[in-house]
Amino acid sequence: MLFRRSGGFSCYYVEGSVPTPPGPEFLEALSEQRFHDIQDAANEQSSIGWVTANDPTGGSFDADAIDFDAGFWLRVRFDKKSLPTQWVAIHRAAAERALARPLNRRERQELVDDLREKLLPRVLPAVKLLDLLYQPRDKRLLMFGCGKSLRDEIHQLFCRTFAGAHLLPADPNYLAQRLGLSRDQNAYLERVAPVRWTSSDGDAGATEPRQPAAIEVGTEQTMESSQ
Amino acid sequence: MSDESELAFLGEEFLTWLWFRLEADGGEFTIDERHIGVAIDDLLAFAPRDGDETEQTLRKGFPIRAPEARSALRTGHRLRRAKLIVADGEQQWTAIVDGPTLSLSSIKLPEDLEAEATTPRDRSTERISSFLELHDLVRGVYRVFLDDRLREDYAPTSGQAQAQWMATA
Repeated sequence: MLFRRSGGFSCYYVEGSVPTPPGPEFLEALSEQRFHDIQDAANEQSSIGWVTANDPTGGSFDADAIDFDAGFWLRVRFDKKSLPTQWVAIHRAAAERALARPLNRRERQELVDDLREKLLPRVLPAVKLLDLLYQPRDKRLLMFGCGKSLRDEIHQLFCRTFAGAHLLPADPNYLAQRLGLSRDQNAYLERVAPVRWTSSDGDAGATEPRQPAAIEVGTEQTMESSQ
Repeated sequence: MSDESELAFLGEEFLTWLWFRLEADGGEFTIDERHIGVAIDDLLAFAPRDGDETEQTLRKGFPIRAPEARSALRTGHRLRRAKLIVADGEQQWTAIVDGPTLSLSSIKLPEDLEAEATTPRDRSTERISSFLELHDLVRGVYRVFLDDRLREDYAPTSGQAQAQWMATA
C-alpha cells in the first residue's frame, strides 16, 4: 500500500497527552477504537474507527504498518449505510404506475419503511478511508482529503481514543502561537487588527503613482494612499 | 471545530504580503538554513472586502499579471487563496494555500521524489517526508511574515511600502 502523492490536508496540533507511537500503549488505544463493520446492519447507520493501510478491516495494528520514520501514517475508516435514493425512486414510480395515481404522504412513508426493511440488509455501506500523518515531535496531525464534517468526526474519534487529548486547528492564530514568537510578538498578536488598504480618492482604476499618507491604528489599522 | 479563527485575516494578509515580497525581493527565503524560492502559480482568489462583494478568482495563465489582479490590489483586496510554487534546490512542490485556514490543497510533490526508492515502503516514506517538509516550509515562510507583521512599527515601515506597491500595481 502506497501513501498518496497528491491531495490536500488540514493541519491540527495535539493538546494533551498521547502515548508515544508506535509503542504498545499507542497501538492499544487505536485498537480499542478500531473500526467496526456494519455490512450486515439492517438499518441506516454509520461507523468510524481506526484501521491501518495494511489492514482496512481494523483487525490488526502493527508498529510496522504505521511507522514511516518522518511520521506515523494513521488511517480512519468511515462507513455509512443508507437507503439508495435511486431505488426508492424506482419503487415509487412502479407503485404510482400500478395505482395510476401519485402516492400520498402516508403511502410514501410506508414505501420507504418497507424498502428499508427489505433492502438495507442487502445494501453495502459506502466506504471512506481517510489518511492522517502524525508527527509526535511537533504534536502535529495532518488530515488528508476530508471536509469539515469528517474532520469533526475524526476529532471526536481522536478524543475518544486518547482521553484528555484534543486537536486545535493550525489556523493563522494558533499556528502563530506555535511558532515560538517573542513575548512582544505574542502581545501584539493578541491585539492585531486587519490593515485596510484603501485609496483616499476611492478611484480604483487610477494608475498614477500615489504617496502613502495616513495610517490610523485603532480598532483597525488603516493604510491610505493619496495623490 | 470552526474553520476560521478570528485572526483569519492574518492568513489573507500573509498571502498578499507574499505576493509583495515576490515582486519586491524575488521571493527568496531562508528557512531552517535552507534557501528556498516561492512563486505564485496559476490561481489567485481575492477576498471580498465586505458582505456585498463577491469573491474573485483568476485561473490559468499568469494571473498575477492580469489587469483584474492589479485592479483588485489597487482597491485594497487581500488574497484569500493562491497556488504557490515552493522550490528548494531541484525539488519543487505546488499547493493551493487557503489564507483563512492555512490549509493546503491540490498539492503536487516533487517529480523526482522517489528516484532512489526501490520498495513501496520506501516510496511511502519519501512521500510522507515530503508532505511534512512542504508544511515545514510554508510554516517557515509564515513565521518570516509574522516577524515582519507583528512589529509595532510595521504600519509606517513595511506596511507603508506594501501600500505603495498595491496602490501603484
